[in-house]
Amino acid sequence: MKNTRRLLFRTAAVLLLVAIAACMMVVGRGHTVYIDNKTLEYEGASYPAPYRATVYVKGERLSTLAARERGMSTVIGQRFSMTLELIEEKGQDPKTVEISLKLPYSMDGVILNIPGYLAGLPQEAWMSEFVSTPSEAEMQEEAPGAEEDILAGAEF
Amino acid sequence: MKKENKLLSFLRDNTVPIMFVVICAVCIPISGFSASYLMNEIVTRMGRNIFLILALLIPIMSGMGLNFGMTLGAMAGEIALIFVSDWQIWGIPGVVLAMILSIPISVLLGAFCGKILNMAKGREMITSYIISFFMNGIYQLIVLYMMGSIIPIKHFSVKLPRGYGIRNTVSLLNMRQCLDNLLAVRVAGVKIPVLTFLIIALLCLFIVWFRKTKLGQDMRAVGQDMNVARDAGINVERTRIISIVMSTVLAGFGMVIYLQNMGNIATYSSHSQIGMFCIAALLVGGASVDKASIGNVFLGVILFHTMFIVAPKAGAQITGDSMIGEYFRVFVSYAVITLALIMYETKKRKRKSLVAQQLQQEQEEASGT
Repeated sequence: MKNTRRLLFRTAAVLLLVAIAACMMVVGRGHTVYIDNKTLEYEGASYPAPYRATVYVKGERLSTLAARERGMSTVIGQRFSMTLELIEEKGQDPKTVEISLKLPYSMDGVILNIPGYLAGLPQEAWMSEFVSTPSEAEMQEEAPGAEEDILAGAEF
Repeated sequence: MKKENKLLSFLRDNTVPIMFVVICAVCIPISGFSASYLMNEIVTRMGRNIFLILALLIPIMSGMGLNFGMTLGAMAGEIALIFVSDWQIWGIPGVVLAMILSIPISVLLGAFCGKILNMAKGREMITSYIISFFMNGIYQLIVLYMMGSIIPIKHFSVKLPRGYGIRNTVSLLNMRQCLDNLLAVRVAGVKIPVLTFLIIALLCLFIVWFRKTKLGQDMRAVGQDMNVARDAGINVERTRIISIVMSTVLAGFGMVIYLQNMGNIATYSSHSQIGMFCIAALLVGGASVDKASIGNVFLGVILFHTMFIVAPKAGAQITGDSMIGEYFRVFVSYAVITLALIMYETKKRKRKSLVAQQLQQEQEEASGT
């Protein structure tokens, strides 16, 4: 009886930890979102970039993008919200657009194309994966070979 | 006369902390650091290190001395953080996930270490020290050759360009100081990482509570006398293994807290001297091989790290070469462990000879009557 109860408690503890770990994996997934204010060509049609787009994330101004410029933001979790203040043509009044979208779990870097999104195109037109290229230094890094590399003391 | 004796015994019992107070008192004015800078540094280092050092208290309680095998927990924490970095889990969820992932690895390593230490009773410290070297080899085999080839690692920022193995430095930029910054407050220009201190306070409360539990009492009994504990029906071997497993798991958590504060993992060296420095800090606080308290941990961290901060600058001021200070602080770390071990052994021998003298006196008295 005592053993069964102990086993039950242990199983429950393990399951609880697994559940918390699973939750953390979902809520803690980080993404880098690249916001493109670039003209999009899709199925033969052209969707021009607005003259200026000011991006606000969590109420703070992230960047002001001229046509053909890219902004960047990081987000934890799968939901990304931003507010865009758009000026379509030079001299026009700005209009505000609220955008909230779900980011795919598998993508580390996500490129969002503003004109494509605003035109109501399907997701594959305005969302794509950003594949970063490692820098020269990163590509040349070698495994630690010398003893001093491995046994060197760390800062404490 | 009595007062003199008391003073002498106080000085004898607190030689190491007093020595450090003197070193710090001399070095602080020479270093020329401002009070707010010093306070900031000390508070940051307290948040970074105290959890790790608290992990040493449980094995001391069960009579297993200073657990040099805490390095095993540190390795578990690092492996967990490598996975979390590869999966791109950021912020507090990343820290929590790393802690959870480190548990099974720490339990396995701790159980292994505990079993071996049971075979080497009375020589736990040197055995755990050598185990940590042995495990370092296994760790490097796994991290350098198995990760990326057998164990899936995808992210280019974690994996070496050759296709397997982990980079020398893994960035934790996306979780850097996330625990320390959440709920942080500034008091007179000093940043207090409230959440980290809350976690430390919880662990302190846990240790205080744990001492009063059945298992905690068993550990203390085992620590005082294994034979008596065994006669009292305590499963000595199991109790000792549990204490090492608990210490290893806590060391794993501590390493995650430590590395989130640093903001990167030096994959092949972060863990290598962590045991040594934690033990040195605990001893500086006035602990000994068989007795340590939470107070010793706090005092040790403050004194040891004050010395760590001011020694290089003081060395540079005195000799014109900052490396002297660097050497000095490393030398002092090792020296303090040596001194504490010598003092422990001397006290033990003195106690033994005192008992022998008493016994002889009693025998002489008995034969005289």
